[in-house]
Amino acid sequence: MATIELQNLTKAFGDLIAVDNVSLKVEENEVLCLLGPSGCGKTTTLRMVAGLETATSGDIFIGNKNVNNLDTRDRNLAMAFQFYALYPSLTVAENLANPLHADNLSDEEIKKKILEVADILQLREIVNRKPHQLAEGEKQRVAVGRAIIRDPECFLFDEPLSRLDVQLREQMRGQIKEVLSDLKKATVIVTHDQLEALTMATKIAVMRDGLIEQVSSPHDIFAKPNNTFVAGFIGTPQMNILECNISEINSSIIKIKVLDQEVEIDFKTSLSVNKNDSYFIGIRPRSFEIVDNNTLDNFSGTIELIENMGSEILVHVKNNHLTFRSVQSRSHKLKIGDVINLKPKNGQVHLFNKSGEVIRNE
Amino acid sequence: MKKRAIGQAGWLWTSLASVVAFIYFFPVLFIILTAFRSRSDTLATPPKWFFTPTFDNFYHIFFRSMANSTEYVATGFHMYFFNSIYISGMSVLLALLIGTLAAYGFSRHPLRGNDTYMFIILTTRMLPPIIVIVPIFLIFRITGLAGTYTGIILMYTAFNLPFSIWMMKSFFDELNTEIEDASRMDGASERSVFFGVCIPQVKAGLAATSVFALILTWNEFLFSLLLTNKLTRTMPPAMARTIGGEINVDYGLLAAMICLFIIPIFLITYLLQNQLLRGVTFGTIKK
Repeated sequence: MATIELQNLTKAFGDLIAVDNVSLKVEENEVLCLLGPSGCGKTTTLRMVAGLETATSGDIFIGNKNVNNLDTRDRNLAMAFQFYALYPSLTVAENLANPLHADNLSDEEIKKKILEVADILQLREIVNRKPHQLAEGEKQRVAVGRAIIRDPECFLFDEPLSRLDVQLREQMRGQIKEVLSDLKKATVIVTHDQLEALTMATKIAVMRDGLIEQVSSPHDIFAKPNNTFVAGFIGTPQMNILECNISEINSSIIKIKVLDQEVEIDFKTSLSVNKNDSYFIGIRPRSFEIVDNNTLDNFSGTIELIENMGSEILVHVKNNHLTFRSVQSRSHKLKIGDVINLKPKNGQVHLFNKSGEVIRNE
Repeated sequence: MKKRAIGQAGWLWTSLASVVAFIYFFPVLFIILTAFRSRSDTLATPPKWFFTPTFDNFYHIFFRSMANSTEYVATGFHMYFFNSIYISGMSVLLALLIGTLAAYGFSRHPLRGNDTYMFIILTTRMLPPIIVIVPIFLIFRITGLAGTYTGIILMYTAFNLPFSIWMMKSFFDELNTEIEDASRMDGASERSVFFGVCIPQVKAGLAATSVFALILTWNEFLFSLLLTNKLTRTMPPAMARTIGGEINVDYGLLAAMICLFIIPIFLITYLLQNQLLRGVTFGTIKK
């Protein structure tokens, strides 16, 4: 059992700083998802943990032991790769056996372990096939199998599901989560898919441009984003982030002016904000309800576009230069051109300052 | 009409292709036929297509009467044949060994200014070799390398290196580095990553590179002429000497020599053809 700890980890490729002063801790039994858009440094961070990339500065501890100068093979980690990285000329069984060779096990033991893993991941029927004879989902399971066959200190997954189609991805997500919860080890998963992160992780670290933006539980990342980037990155459809001015403050009720529309929002607690300064408000498309009259507590606008989302619809509402989106039930029978009034649900409005950081009173 | 498979050419294109292939192959065919003709048949006009084949020409390669004598003496040609095989083989092996290691380095552990180094390596192939012949000749004379196997093998290795490095680098570049990382995770050392994971995946590249390098070395004339002596001479200058030394060119003898000359290359290319096909089409067919 071991923890993974990164302290002020930095990686520069020439002038480009891929990972910038990252500090993180993954406890035993914890699944940390590194989440972020492509090129944000999440894979580089993972590769540094694995020892496949050397850090420019900073320290990596695995099980409280500094592994900075340890070779990959001496770190006792297991990793599943994005493109599976199966040896093309070896069968599934041989691929699975490969990590075991270093441990000097007998043939019997190796065979037993292969069958064990094959059972967990339902690979029994395909153990004698070569990688090119496998379907994507099977390759992916073999890649996971190769990672879990040994008893390493920690597990690393690099975009494990990115190559699967949507259905298979959903299925594998559950399966991997199940396998991981049985393993009870510190695990790091790299992904750009928020759904993957939200479902599989016990802790999510959102990264952007080499920096960690927020580390929280999946629920907090969604409900309490620290800044506009996290707010916009997590959740589909994307959160509406609108620029506004504060025109009046009355303890917890703040009157904001978004373009030429004035709306009063009750934040429940008083926030330290200044009158007449400009801020951003963030409201998720699902946090609106339709009300009959345009009063001070709601936004009004004309429906410009309606996107079909199955059981729900995504309405694009326009008011002069201001557009925002709202998810509504199909039962409202909305049409393009209708004027609707949308009231943000209580306690689901986020306020951010000019530089994008959240203003919260806790 | 019989249905043909999708992508299969019709009889018109097939026969057209055969005609073109025949035109290309004709000189080779003519040489092979000439090798089996007697001297009078060779010189006959119009060319005789039907004749009694003879092995005299092949015999004369190895045993021939020298000027003003009727006695048949050994020409030492078997030695030149051996020299060619030995020198080409060794230099190709060396170039492949050094080239593969260098290419792996350039591909996996790029230096600052990696592309510049690669370009400089390529520039050595931009000059016609004859430009450097004088300094090289002098260097060989001073160092005592002239006329030795070591000298000419080193020369040819240097010749083949740029090409080997470039070609092997492109093969290494094409590999999925994740597999190498995966084997590192599985506990492989850097040495076993190279020999156990990378090399097996570039077999086709090794085959293609070695055949190209071999053909280049096998056919090389100029440096062999100047840097070898009677004992280390390779086939091309030896052949030129045989033919050029006589007043009347013996075309039958020449053709027989050419036949022998192309056999090794032909065999190797034939043996490696499966690998070669994958090798020379790299980059055009994606996995």
